[in-house]
Amino acid sequence: MGTHEGDYDSGRLYGELGDRPPEPGDRARNVVRNVGELLITAGMVVLLFVVYELYITDLFSAGKQREATAALDDQWQHPGADVVEGGERTNKIELEDGKGFAKIYMPQFGSDFHFTVLEGTSDKTLESGPGHYKGTALPGEHGNFAIAGHRVGKGAPFNDLDLLQSCDKIVIETEGSWFEYRMLPKEDEAPKWDSVRTKSPKCQKVNVLGADYSKVFGRDIVKPSQGGVISPVPYAPAGTKPGAALLTLTTCHPKFSDAQRLIVHAVMTLQVAKNPANPGQPPAGMLEDS
Amino acid sequence: MYGWIWRKLPGPLAVRITIATILILGVAALLLFVVFPWLEPKLWFNNVTTEQ
Repeated sequence: MGTHEGDYDSGRLYGELGDRPPEPGDRARNVVRNVGELLITAGMVVLLFVVYELYITDLFSAGKQREATAALDDQWQHPGADVVEGGERTNKIELEDGKGFAKIYMPQFGSDFHFTVLEGTSDKTLESGPGHYKGTALPGEHGNFAIAGHRVGKGAPFNDLDLLQSCDKIVIETEGSWFEYRMLPKEDEAPKWDSVRTKSPKCQKVNVLGADYSKVFGRDIVKPSQGGVISPVPYAPAGTKPGAALLTLTTCHPKFSDAQRLIVHAVMTLQVAKNPANPGQPPAGMLEDS
Repeated sequence: MYGWIWRKLPGPLAVRITIATILILGVAALLLFVVFPWLEPKLWFNNVTTEQ
């Protein structure tokens, strides 16, 4: 640092050679500096919000999902705890808003891919995990068991939904049963399904559905306003009687946007009642990607 | 603005740096755990459901 008067060359920060250093009371310079600092701060805040959306919400949601799973496990292990007096245990699934009632597995994404599915699709519920559209069918029922889930942040259960291929398994576990659903043929595969099917052992049980289902394919991308994807018979006029047990997953599309919805339709191919002696044990092969 | 804050911080350099770090972390925590969770539901890009 220069110490004697008039030596501006060492430690200089501003301006052209020969400029004098800024006057302390230079108002315009102060204003510009403050505006610049505010803009940089705003940029940092926006970046921090991106970090929040992509990572911090995952942390919050992981905790909520753990709680929901623990509550569901507890309920399955101690059935009857909340049965009203004189009530009998049935196979009927108890639905309570925001509470878990089933688990979803996608063996394609690894054996650690499982989420507890909660009742309802409010923002708050979807923070805890995939949510069941109220009023749609229950697992195994004829109709359409429809589930929504986040694709980015908040645990992102459906992050890789676009990687699911036709005939891939989606397994649902309820208190009493295991249900194996398989993704339906995609639109380009449907016309030549018989030849596709013979090539893949996965697809043996995936039959082409009836005429009512002519517009239902394994993967679809729709506008958010197309609520018909979760109808008992998707896209069909109201009142069409469902002839199959479907599963529909919805999430946002493209990633990081809500302009469209990515839809996956699957059909039930197997239902196995749980062994009462060992209800926690999945049937052989059920959770394998086969 | 930041220069003004820096000048207001008391103590020697090490103490100033410590206080400044705590201030920055405090603001970040306030944003992450209070402001953003409040703000987020009001934004539009996180919908995953179809309209019923």
